[in-house]
Amino acid sequence: MRISLEWLKDFIELNISPEELIRVLNSIGLVVDEFSWEEGDLVLEIETYANRPDTLGHLGIARELAAVLGQSLKEQQWPLAEISEKTEEVVDVQVFVEELCPRYCGLVVRGVKVGPSPEWLQRRLRAVGLKTINNVVDVTNYVLYATAQPIHAFDLDKLAGRKIIVRQAKKDESFRTLDGTDLQLSPEMMVIADEQKPVALAGIIGGENSAVTEETQDVFIECAYFDPISVRMTAKKLGLQTDASYRFERGADISFPPRGALMVASLLSQFGGKATRGLIDIYPHPRKKKTLILRHHRVHELLGVEVPSEKIESIFQALQFGVETTQPGCWKILVPYHRVDIEREADLIEEVARFFGYDQIPSAFPPLKQLEPPLSPLRKTIQRMRYLLFHYGFNEVLNFSFMSEEDNDCFAQARKPVRLRNPVSSRSALMRTTLLPGLISNVAYNLNRGAEGVHLFEWGKIYFWKNDVTQERLSLGLVSTGWRETKHWSSLREKSDFFWLKGAVEDLFSLLRYEPVNFVQKEHPWCENGLSLIVSYKGEPLGFLGLLREEIGRKYELKQDVWVAEFDIGYLISKQPRAFHFQPVVKFPAVIRDASFLVEAGLPYQQVRSFLESREIPWLEKFELYDRFTGASIPQGKVSLSFRFVFRHPERTLEAEEVDNLMERIIRSLKSEFGFQLREGGKIDK
Amino acid sequence: MEELREKIKQYRLKFDEAIKNVKTPQELQELRVQFLGRKRGYLTKLIESLRDLSPQQRPLIGKEINELKNYITARLEETAQSMTAVAKRLPGIDITLPGKTLPLGAPHPIIKFQEEIENIFYQMGFSIEDGPEIETDYYNFEALNFPPHHPARDDWDTIYVEGRDDLLLRTHTSPVQIRAMEKKKPPIRIIIPGRVFRKETPDPTHLPMFFQVEGLVVDVGITFAHLKGTLESFLRRLFSERIKIRFRPSFFPFTEPSAEVDISCTVCHGEDSDCRVCRGSGWIEILGAGMVDPQVLKNVNIDPEKYSGFAFGMGIDRTAMFIYQITDMRSFYENDLRFLRQFLKQ
Ligand SMILES: [Zn+2]
Repeated sequence: MRISLEWLKDFIELNISPEELIRVLNSIGLVVDEFSWEEGDLVLEIETYANRPDTLGHLGIARELAAVLGQSLKEQQWPLAEISEKTEEVVDVQVFVEELCPRYCGLVVRGVKVGPSPEWLQRRLRAVGLKTINNVVDVTNYVLYATAQPIHAFDLDKLAGRKIIVRQAKKDESFRTLDGTDLQLSPEMMVIADEQKPVALAGIIGGENSAVTEETQDVFIECAYFDPISVRMTAKKLGLQTDASYRFERGADISFPPRGALMVASLLSQFGGKATRGLIDIYPHPRKKKTLILRHHRVHELLGVEVPSEKIESIFQALQFGVETTQPGCWKILVPYHRVDIEREADLIEEVARFFGYDQIPSAFPPLKQLEPPLSPLRKTIQRMRYLLFHYGFNEVLNFSFMSEEDNDCFAQARKPVRLRNPVSSRSALMRTTLLPGLISNVAYNLNRGAEGVHLFEWGKIYFWKNDVTQERLSLGLVSTGWRETKHWSSLREKSDFFWLKGAVEDLFSLLRYEPVNFVQKEHPWCENGLSLIVSYKGEPLGFLGLLREEIGRKYELKQDVWVAEFDIGYLISKQPRAFHFQPVVKFPAVIRDASFLVEAGLPYQQVRSFLESREIPWLEKFELYDRFTGASIPQGKVSLSFRFVFRHPERTLEAEEVDNLMERIIRSLKSEFGFQLREGGKIDK
Repeated sequence: MEELREKIKQYRLKFDEAIKNVKTPQELQELRVQFLGRKRGYLTKLIESLRDLSPQQRPLIGKEINELKNYITARLEETAQSMTAVAKRLPGIDITLPGKTLPLGAPHPIIKFQEEIENIFYQMGFSIEDGPEIETDYYNFEALNFPPHHPARDDWDTIYVEGRDDLLLRTHTSPVQIRAMEKKKPPIRIIIPGRVFRKETPDPTHLPMFFQVEGLVVDVGITFAHLKGTLESFLRRLFSERIKIRFRPSFFPFTEPSAEVDISCTVCHGEDSDCRVCRGSGWIEILGAGMVDPQVLKNVNIDPEKYSGFAFGMGIDRTAMFIYQITDMRSFYENDLRFLRQFLKQ
């Protein structure tokens, strides 16, 4: 809202510096966003609030200033040039929809010489950023910006039957606004009509058919109160917002219309206008001022400071509220009509706080009566997960929660995506069902900017429909491509590959104590054939990892191998991980046995591992696959697998013979289960 | 027998003397052969001379020979190891060459900053709450005292879910206030960090998605003074003990009285009338806050005559932009590694 200092001075004596004025306005919540000197006048851009329509004019700002500065407003005179003709004889006003239009005032001004506005008026309108149209329209705008009361002026001669009817629009009625837009109306909309047709959309905009032009001689001035919700719904439905609708939908001052009409008539007398006698004022059910009770102790209870009674009373008096002491410590407060925001005691207490000064309220710390629950397991696990991934060299990224239809085509899945009705752009038309489109775009972005290796992770929600209910699941996505480290002068470096990503994932779940996590080779639609593993925990699928399908990568302008993984960590973390137990370090030495086998090349290692884990071999602390090879020395269709088995007894040193027996058991079972042939190692040659 | 004992002693002295002068691996190998060689080594000879002893004496001397053997073996091994270590430090290698570093991943600045905020509140006895990001109109607006046709809704440009008039992307983290109060009776002391959505076309200061942190305290006897105290100590910990803090009246449908909280400009300290950051005002708007509106308490069946509370909200991205002097909010979501990896050092 633009406010001119010169204009403000019509309403209040101001002898303070501009800096002080801005400070004072800020202190009562009228924030000056910007200010500038224009034509020798100080123009302030003041931030206003949806609940304070009274501050949408100079008068309202002046009222607030008067209250905070302890001054009173200037008295203003609005002299009229009148003729003997009675208004009601010239125009017939009827309100059919009282609930939508509780008050309607009208006055006729005859003999106005329509033309350009005088310089003083043009200057005022320039200050608030309005264009000048003609003196009549300018006067209505002037009153609006002076008082926040919207006014409309009709060309009297264009009102068929000299009638003004406030009614609902008829079905299929159409209407052309004074700026030339054609509108299709519907019955829930309120119009101002003459005998034949709508001449204005009530509280929003006038019609072309009744507009004041150079030829106009007599003017009908409308100054009314329209229902906020009705105006807002109509304006929203038609996609219109005008200075008038902006004010009516926030709530106008119902006591103001007579005064507004007189102001306009008085100003028009400067252009030869003469007002008809007797204001039409249709106000069948005058509203009473709101009465509220304010308890002194509640002020203290909410603000945490003792505000003296005299101070409270003077604040409300300065704000033109009625103040009456009903009993000690209790006031009856009468709310002026222009304060539509004041409805409860809390609203009154805010007024006390504003004018007592927020800076006068002390600072205290609320007493801690109970301890809040500790950090949730979810947050703790995520923190640990992040740090483990940082150690693996993955960088954390954040993408928007959206995706495009193209992303959805590339990463099609059974889940039904949540589409948005009014997205910001087509790139964000859906809520993401996977983190991968974002991550893969990040890879392309960084490769295009010269990155040699890109290793990223994101954790965040994915969204989808399930039985008409939107689901939000916490997901973890990983992508990796290119060099894993910068080249060091002393050594070779490695590129990211499948087993590096798999190792990171294995370590991650193991260190978070979710074990065993199962990896099964299975095709995944987003991965190259034969290069994806489905990961599950206790039989529930968690996600997958693999090599991104080349044709998907190409859609994101990727020309190199990208290893990807995504996991439902929301599900995982909802499960209790294995409890952490400290194990005393065993003092007895380990006995180590290596053994190499000839194995069918097609046998998945996961099967061997699961088999060995399920055997429960006593004192076998761990086993590792430390070598795997094929070559000239190995028969066709076989591979050599070398294992290291580590045995340890917690309470004594194992005898070599005991371990030999255990090894024999292992070798025998591998032989019978998978047909392993021992190549070397162990002590048994069978 | 005594003769043998003397020999053992002599060999030991001889070995100690010899090993001191060993300089190269080759000399070390020669020494090994001299003492431990299978055919002519001194120890082999000693063992051979055991034959001349009586069966009772043999184990005694045998043990002593074995001890000497172990001693010599250990010293040889030790020397060999220190030699290879020395070899690595041999002259000819420039030790000012760069060292090897691990390629550590970097945290995202928004998440890291959110963590800092969480830690401060955590230390002040707050717990952390979460809630859905696809919300209903009721939780996002109505329960927060935005009536269906209230113009205040225009300040929160909303993205809606297609096909469902009641579902939207939450425009603030405030709906979690309602959910928390429905779930739990006072005392309540929580913060709610998370993603929020607005229908905004991306530009340097607006995005359709960003992060916010919301706070809520409800109990008997909570006052505006507590709101001030809590936010002042939070802001001083987040920025610096030296900042000035200003509370000024504002409006939010879900708080009454409402406040906007400004801190003194940490860039120009109010001394540059052309300051890009505070536009010369000397103040930066950082938080919105207020006493929980009695209607909001009623909506969750908390008696506003008995309980009161305060709530506050802060943009995480916007505050991080200010702290790091980042001029374009979009850079947080471009995920350029040259941008992100700087925060390894933060
Ligand atoms: Zn500054």
